[in-house]
Amino acid sequence: MTSLKKNDFSVIGKPIAMIDSAGKVTGQGKYADDLSVPGMLIGKILHSHLPHALIKKIDASRALALDGVVTVVIGTDAPNTYGILPVGHDETALAVEKVRYVGDNVACVVAESESIAEAALELIDVEYEPLPAWFDPEDSMEAQANFIHEQRPNNIEKDYHHVFGDPDAGFAQADVVLEGRYIANEVTHAAMEPHCTLAAFEFDSHTGREGRLTVQSSTQVPYYLQHKLSIVLEMPMSQIRVIKPLVGGGFGGKSEIIPLEIIAAVAARKAKAPVKITYTREEVFLAHRGRPRTIIDLKTGVKKDGSITAVAAKVIQDGGAYCSYGVVTILYSGALLGALYDIPNIKYDGFRVLTNKPACGAMRGHGTVNVRFAFESQLDELAGKINMDPVSIRRKNLLKPPCITVNGLRVQSYGLPECIDVVARESKWAERRTKLGKGRGLGMACSHYVSGAASSIIRSDMPHSTVNIKIDRDGGVIIYTGASDIGQGSDTMVAQIAAEVLGCKMNRIKVVAADTDLTPVDIGSYSSRVTFMNGNATLRAAEDIKKRIVAAAALKMACAPEDVIMRDDLVYKKGVAPVAPKQENAPTVSGHVEGQILRGSVQQKRKDEGPKERMSFEEAVTAAMDNTGALGGTGSYAPPVEAKGGKHKGGGVGPSPAYSYSAQVADVTVDEETGEVTVNKIWAAHDCGRALNPVSVEGQVIGSVWMGLGQALQEEFVWKDGLLMNPSMLEYKSPSSTESPEIESFIVESIDPEGPFGAKEASEGSLAAAIPAISNAIYDAVGVRLRECPFSPERVLSAIRAKNGQKKIEMTNRVDPTAPHKMREHGGSTWYKGKGPQRHADDPSRKTTTEVPAAD
Amino acid sequence: MSLPTFKLLRPRTVEEAVGMLHRYQDDIQICAGGTDLLPSMKQRLFTPKFLMDIRGIDGLERIRVTPGLGVELGALTTLSAVEDSGFIHRHYPVLHEAVKTVASPILRNMGTMGGNICLDTRCLWYNQSLQWRKSCGFCIKKDGDLCHVAPGGKKCWAAFSADTPAALLCLSAEVNVASPSGFRRIAIADLYTNDGVNRIKLAKNEMITSIYLPEASAGYSGAYKKLRIRGSIDYPLAGVAVALKKKGKIVEDVKVAITGVNPAPHLVPDALHALVGRELNEHAATVVGELASRVAKPLTTSLLTPEYRREIIRVYTKRAVMAAGAAT
Ligand SMILES: Cc1cc2nc3c(=O)[nH]c(=O)nc-3n(C[C@H](O)[C@H](O)[C@H](O)COP(=O)(O)OP(=O)(O)OC[C@H]3O[C@@H](n4cnc5c(N)ncnc54)[C@H](O)[C@@H]3O)c2cc1C
Ligand code: SF4
Repeated sequence: MTSLKKNDFSVIGKPIAMIDSAGKVTGQGKYADDLSVPGMLIGKILHSHLPHALIKKIDASRALALDGVVTVVIGTDAPNTYGILPVGHDETALAVEKVRYVGDNVACVVAESESIAEAALELIDVEYEPLPAWFDPEDSMEAQANFIHEQRPNNIEKDYHHVFGDPDAGFAQADVVLEGRYIANEVTHAAMEPHCTLAAFEFDSHTGREGRLTVQSSTQVPYYLQHKLSIVLEMPMSQIRVIKPLVGGGFGGKSEIIPLEIIAAVAARKAKAPVKITYTREEVFLAHRGRPRTIIDLKTGVKKDGSITAVAAKVIQDGGAYCSYGVVTILYSGALLGALYDIPNIKYDGFRVLTNKPACGAMRGHGTVNVRFAFESQLDELAGKINMDPVSIRRKNLLKPPCITVNGLRVQSYGLPECIDVVARESKWAERRTKLGKGRGLGMACSHYVSGAASSIIRSDMPHSTVNIKIDRDGGVIIYTGASDIGQGSDTMVAQIAAEVLGCKMNRIKVVAADTDLTPVDIGSYSSRVTFMNGNATLRAAEDIKKRIVAAAALKMACAPEDVIMRDDLVYKKGVAPVAPKQENAPTVSGHVEGQILRGSVQQKRKDEGPKERMSFEEAVTAAMDNTGALGGTGSYAPPVEAKGGKHKGGGVGPSPAYSYSAQVADVTVDEETGEVTVNKIWAAHDCGRALNPVSVEGQVIGSVWMGLGQALQEEFVWKDGLLMNPSMLEYKSPSSTESPEIESFIVESIDPEGPFGAKEASEGSLAAAIPAISNAIYDAVGVRLRECPFSPERVLSAIRAKNGQKKIEMTNRVDPTAPHKMREHGGSTWYKGKGPQRHADDPSRKTTTEVPAAD
Repeated sequence: MSLPTFKLLRPRTVEEAVGMLHRYQDDIQICAGGTDLLPSMKQRLFTPKFLMDIRGIDGLERIRVTPGLGVELGALTTLSAVEDSGFIHRHYPVLHEAVKTVASPILRNMGTMGGNICLDTRCLWYNQSLQWRKSCGFCIKKDGDLCHVAPGGKKCWAAFSADTPAALLCLSAEVNVASPSGFRRIAIADLYTNDGVNRIKLAKNEMITSIYLPEASAGYSGAYKKLRIRGSIDYPLAGVAVALKKKGKIVEDVKVAITGVNPAPHLVPDALHALVGRELNEHAATVVGELASRVAKPLTTSLLTPEYRREIIRVYTKRAVMAAGAAT
């Protein structure tokens, strides 16, 4: 398969519009919040206004007395713990004993309307006993008491300490060693669609007892949701049906069980009626699960010739109040130091720390992005120290695949060298760099990502994806896939793969996806696994069903099955010209007369003919069905053992069947008087193995770079004493179209030996490089090295003024962005001389009154 | 988030409207385009018993030119209408520059001049949901007793965050105020209080019906510079407007105003002395920048630090002065 060329395909490699796009643009498509069922009630969640407190009492009687309120759900209604990771079952539907962040879930009102439910929230009386809270991860690690979770002493969720090779010897061999602290501030997915869940039970009309549960939810992981619901509700999974409607973006924010999904089900059970909950945008920010604030203490050594001798990284992640994907995040941060460049010695110390803030989780580029920012920045600096070009130093450290890295990652296809060549050439790197004039510069960086994890987080030997295909008598193909299309286009991807294998037109294919009653298990849309794994399962299912069609066709055409070719809706003998039989050009649906559906024109005609050289797709399908009655195929995919990585503790995270690669060049202009950075253009080359659908790949690459751009320049959670100061799309500054530069993407096809048609990851790997490409370009432009992102204008300006020796203006809350020592807090005072929110006497808010400029 | 319940009033005339204001005083709120008021109501910053939608009043949505006097902009004139007016663009370019930076095209289609002038002051500790404000213990501006940005004091420092008033100050605009006892006309400079809570000097039974741009202000060149993190849909984190008139190379008259940093928009008082009678150059513009940054008193009401915003007032003022000078 890997030797196939582009024009050997009919559907693969062609730019194809998403098969669900018409429904989306016309408004016909239904997202979760578009759904409603008879008798449906609305749920609204009461959130904690304290960062850390014991719940002494919840009195909902005043709320229940309000007309239109049906019930109020609290933690004790469903106290079982769950969490996305088996090691991190630390969440409950609603807080049971204590709340752990401002925004934690306390109670849920179920009412006849949203406004009644909102009014009722104000009538729930909760008595709290405040506890001291932890907002800074380095402080939190020092905690001796009042732990956020009792079972996690010192508030450390998990720490890992890895040594591969001999880092000490590596640093000793180096000619130059640099060390520095980098801080990446917290960002979130900001998907367009807010989370929404509609849960409905069937009730026995005699006993009133609840029966089967159907949950329609905006999720990337319907099967995990089914599983966690079964734990919390104590119901067998078979009694729970999870359906994913259209999803308006996830980026990781829907890749685990989000509180409202469980709460809606618990509420529906208690209310004995269907319940829908839709998050407000503020609630989306509080549910979060985004990329944690990260401190990276990084040390890298290189020889004079540019070769990297060793890397040591200490990473502290400010994980928020629950584990979520945290253990995986902190492992990815270390593991993905490998598999991009050839690094012989690696030391890694990772700490995932709990703090009293919304839980961080998986976000596009999960685990790798912040460390990549630090690494690529430091590599740039090292190149400067040894007088080497930033492109050359990267070329110097390439891997030589197939290989297994020092930390156990197997690399087979490796398009990085070509990615670097392409962006260097297209950006005219050599000619333009250093000649752009004052305030303008070029920066380069690389990144990579997994195509799914070789070992699944559920620790099971089950295949990671299984796909069923059914073909109807008139040649309609239905694919039953568990893959969750969240806008990235997996429905289109499976349709393309099946159409290619079966040699049929795309319009024959219908995709039934992500419905746990109908579709076989797929573990979800995360870690960029879907094309690789579900694509492979689809490919196998299509081949399975194709075997049957080919066998029947071979009989009809009196030839060996090997000589049957299926392509472009035709089935023909090898050597025969693939022209369509007359009158049968268009796939016609058989039988127009009622009652004759099964004996259509095709079947009639078939009777009069002898052996033939070619047949239509429909004819071949009908022939195959004559033998079996039904036509179905199954395929599944499990990653090979060789891809599963080393045996060390935590070694299961990082290994992947294949890695994508990206190289980028950013061209920026910096205003030296204001610190404002304008990105003029980004060139991004991405190795995705094979581009099954090039427009779709380009969209993903551009989207990744754009998201990186947001994190690089303007997106950040601004914190003050555990309060998220900007929980809105107005104040959380994702880039708008006006400041989005041209992003030119280039597809590099390394044709992976195990990917479906050679394909691998396309939608995450290009995010990480954007951030250091921009910071390196800022350095090139104005000579300041920013070690804290985002590179907001105040940070850039303060660095420029310091470099130019101008009068110091303290404008970054005492955190120097070129040498950040700690995480920054917003100014002002939450609490002052007895005034402010009810907080514990030892709460940080009561110690850190900022000096306020005298106001007159 | 849903709107709180209220009774909707739809007066047809100004008399009827001010009558309603008079009758319901504390329980009523004017809604023009609603682009600022409605989101704030969802956040329970305002929960009026009566909401008075004034869009049904005839004659308040127009741009009327009276030769010899100037231009009258009805309070309900949308920001888009002002933006699209070639007359305004030609004769009052500073207003054109400012209006086109407001929010986004869609919001400008709904938002009105009256609403922009009367915009509520903004603060990161205040423009939040009820749930959020509970978690900070509320503040002086609404439901609380502490100002989180200047905790020692008793005053609210929320920033006045509308763009066009800076331009209107430069144009010496006046506003027409209606009340049950008739109309009065005041200079826009006298409309604001510099208090974050009671931002404008309107009595409870008064409303603005129009804005006058005097003919004497026509023909000034203009520039407006606005600090924002996003290229669109951002309130000003600092804004500077300049209207300037030159004779040859010599500056004959100039007005500079800032917005987005203090609880009111302000004219920079000494800009005139620094520039009038001189040739415009970088140095002179820098001096005006210094003067403007002395007027600016930003506090931690927004995501960017006060120190940065004040510095930007300095730089942007210099640039706006240069740009206005170059435009003549
Ligand atoms: C996302 C977003 C971004 C925005 N960005 C900007 C920005 O960049 N710059 C900017 O200036 N504004 C911005 N705004 C605010 C707003 O859209 C504009 O200021 C608009 O001009 C307000 O006009 P309106 O008619 O919608 O006012 P409304 O919301 O109807 O009213 C605003 C206030 O003015 C009062 N009011 C209205 N008309 C009168 C009158 N005739 N007499 C007395 N009082 C009156 C109301 O009672 C209310 O208190 C933004 C708003 C949003 C939602
Ligand atoms: S300036 Fe102070 S009182 Fe005014 S809104 Fe902000 S925190 Fe509240």
